[in-house]
Amino acid sequence: MATEIDLVADLRESICRHAKYSLGKRWPDLSPHDQFVAVALAVRDRMVDGMLATERRYRESDPKRLFYLSIEFLIGQSLENNLRNLGLRESCRQALAQLGANLEEIEDREPDAALGNGGLGRLAACFLDSLATLGMPGYGYGINYEYGLFKQEIDNGYQREKPENWLAQSSPWQIARPDEACLVPVYGRIEHAVDRHGAYNPMWMDWKVLIGVPCDMLVPGYGGRTVHFLRLYSAHSSHDFDMRIFNDGDYFKAVEQKITSETVSKVLYPSDAVIAGHELRLEQEYFLVACALRDIVRRFEQRHADFHEFPAKTAIQLNDTHPALAVAELMRILVDEKSLPWTDAWEITQATFAYTNHTLAAEALEKWPTPLLELMLPRHLQIIHEINVRFLRQLAAATPTDGARLARMSLVEESSPKQVRMVNLAIVGSHSVNGVSALHTRWFETVLVPDFYQLWPGKFSNKTNGITQRRWMLKANPRLADLITATVGDGWITDLTRLRGLERVADDPGFQSAFAGIKRANKEKLAAIIREGSYVKVDPDSLFSIQAKRIHAYKRQLLNVLHIVHEYLALIEDGQTPAVPRTYILAGKAAPGYWLAKQIIKLIHNVARVINRDPRAANWIRVAFIPDYRVSLAEKIIPAADLSEQISTAGTEASGTSNMKLALNGAVAIGTLDGANVEILEEVGPDNMFIFGLQATEVRAMREQRSYRPREFYERDPRVKRVVDAFGAGLFCTDEPGLFSWVFQKLLDSADEHLHLADLAAYLEAQQQAARAFTDRSRWLRMAILNIARVGKFSSDRTVAEYARDIWHLQSL
Amino acid sequence: MEIAADKMNDVAVVQIPVDELDASNAGELKRDIAPVLEANTRLVIDLSRLRFIDSSGLGAMLSCLRQLSAKNGDLKLCGMSRQVRATFELVRMHRIFDIFPTCEEAVRAFDGAQASPAD
Repeated sequence: MATEIDLVADLRESICRHAKYSLGKRWPDLSPHDQFVAVALAVRDRMVDGMLATERRYRESDPKRLFYLSIEFLIGQSLENNLRNLGLRESCRQALAQLGANLEEIEDREPDAALGNGGLGRLAACFLDSLATLGMPGYGYGINYEYGLFKQEIDNGYQREKPENWLAQSSPWQIARPDEACLVPVYGRIEHAVDRHGAYNPMWMDWKVLIGVPCDMLVPGYGGRTVHFLRLYSAHSSHDFDMRIFNDGDYFKAVEQKITSETVSKVLYPSDAVIAGHELRLEQEYFLVACALRDIVRRFEQRHADFHEFPAKTAIQLNDTHPALAVAELMRILVDEKSLPWTDAWEITQATFAYTNHTLAAEALEKWPTPLLELMLPRHLQIIHEINVRFLRQLAAATPTDGARLARMSLVEESSPKQVRMVNLAIVGSHSVNGVSALHTRWFETVLVPDFYQLWPGKFSNKTNGITQRRWMLKANPRLADLITATVGDGWITDLTRLRGLERVADDPGFQSAFAGIKRANKEKLAAIIREGSYVKVDPDSLFSIQAKRIHAYKRQLLNVLHIVHEYLALIEDGQTPAVPRTYILAGKAAPGYWLAKQIIKLIHNVARVINRDPRAANWIRVAFIPDYRVSLAEKIIPAADLSEQISTAGTEASGTSNMKLALNGAVAIGTLDGANVEILEEVGPDNMFIFGLQATEVRAMREQRSYRPREFYERDPRVKRVVDAFGAGLFCTDEPGLFSWVFQKLLDSADEHLHLADLAAYLEAQQQAARAFTDRSRWLRMAILNIARVGKFSSDRTVAEYARDIWHLQSL
Repeated sequence: MEIAADKMNDVAVVQIPVDELDASNAGELKRDIAPVLEANTRLVIDLSRLRFIDSSGLGAMLSCLRQLSAKNGDLKLCGMSRQVRATFELVRMHRIFDIFPTCEEAVRAFDGAQASPAD
């Protein structure tokens, strides 16, 4: 057993060795980034040992394995998380101190791996942490985007996007596996031939080739016993250059061919909604699927010859429909390459796949035009048509003829042009389908795909999302983590329900005081970040009201702004001081092509400028927008929150996970009954959350009956009228008249599908209640502590354990 | 591309003399193998040097098969690496060619000595 001293010496030696032999420098000569690389490589060595040991352990029992296919993995920084999970952080700190360096400074230098937009990608990253911690054989498969989600800069209140070349200096975490590269054909045509025995044999001809080169990022579970990998693929051309073209003197054409191939993994699409019609996006989705399936099949064949055993050894989870082409790809492999009969292949495919839906809006469900599919993936389109013909035939035989129902359930929408419905493909091709919160699952079953739910009710289930407490408490809020451990022991790190033990100290003045001190320190840190990044001075004693997430109409940052404006106008026009001084903190990126979201960012900045410059508001209201929201920034914002703004229109947020992260860190939520807010309310209780607004069924009814009359809310409530009029009058754009007239128009438009004015009065009341509660320090602290104590359900360990039990049939080893 | 045909039991045997058969040299192969196809009806193509083949290379193989079939001849393939075999399978071309591990087995198959190919 290595002693602490051995570990420190060993790490120090390892860091210096990498400085010398991996970077070719002496430790004292390393740049700050080089220091990070040397430390990361030393840590990676230990993870490689762990990964090999894990694989040895798994091989003994030849377990079923899960492969999690996701177009996004929003990882963030890894060094601190890896050190904590491996139990090496203190040793590393000492080793670096002996070398005259500071661990925290080195950890801070790590660029975020921003291979995702938001919730869906971060969920995938949390799941990998939980799988490794639970010792369940599960691996991620994704794309190694050269450019992650763009870097957000603010120029005169407007978002400007800058490329985020996170791999510019290469990532020390990635282990290249060129020997496991695979060939991916795309485009081409089908040649309808017959085989040696006279049977129909469609051949895929004239394709262009991409090479998928994998590299692995290792994922250590807490305690370091299990280390898995996330396999990310880069697209390469089949040669460095086409030497023939090069030799003919057309250098640029040779380079162009190479670049065209490599474009596939060049950049993450910056939207969490569907990106319809983008050929490159379809190519990305297929590239991921083809590389992943090739690798998964290769691994299976290392130990098995009979593909009928495939589902007993392999579970594949489709994280939304982006990898749904995997259904057609596995069928192609089994039928075309492995020569299995169609019916056998279909049984194997259905038993292998499971699909998670993340969408609530019918119009956001992914579809691809058949002409594009025929152009890019002609064999897959043939297979999809064959699946569809057999499915519809079976359906028609089993149920009374109902043409409309058949048309709704068909994999192909009879539009012009025809489109393949990826959600239908994913449902038909999977043995399990799940939503990500109880409300979303009900909605998915009864509103989005009711025909499928009626046909296969047993296929559907709910798996409410979760977050990993290792990142969102242990790493993000280490002082609070220490306090919790001192109070209830460290069992919560792997069993979040242990936080229930905090209920008994929720009223304890000593615990409350310790908690308040930590919260104050976190707020001071955030205040410094705001001062530096947004040039706004904020008071850490004020109520920090935080809304940090993608900027999107349905998330209703605009509603938040309406409340801020209301408070401001009440102060300056009515002399009505707020119950408490407040700092409104917003952060988030807008998709570059999303005009409204970008306008909301500009609006927030203009409102902030007017209020922050008004001396009458100086002691009461501050507004700050923190640029470039990303995982590492979220880890600093969330622990500082008092009030968590979860105010989406009911029935629009599938789950949300920032609501869970904020509750875990002792923020009290003000929110609608949307997504996982509903279940958080069930856990923490109505006394510890400020719930307001329409419910999902009411919103739906209002939309269907077209009964939303914003003018009535406007006329009826003078507070509402005054806020709306402020935008009509141009209060926040005196130097650019008319800049925000869209706000005035949108709010009074009965077509405002997010029903801002229907919820505004209730929101103002709820905000009043929150402010009053904050003035009662002991009550507020009790609420915050009970949020922490009762949020145990929302660990991704619980979510993953449910998937493993109900869907993947995976064991801990 | 230098294509030389050897005779084994009245069967022409040709080795593809490159590591990679793709858009840059598939046309050259088709041109240079044409005299062999003219002069023979029973042909074995040895792919043992080949490490990579793309759709142009597969197209060239298919063209050879069709030319021989048109005059009631036949083509058999041998010596495929795992990667090259995988590419044939990927596009279902392993179902239209007789594929054998070695040249000798491919040649024998013309005489019916080995009935079933290696798939």
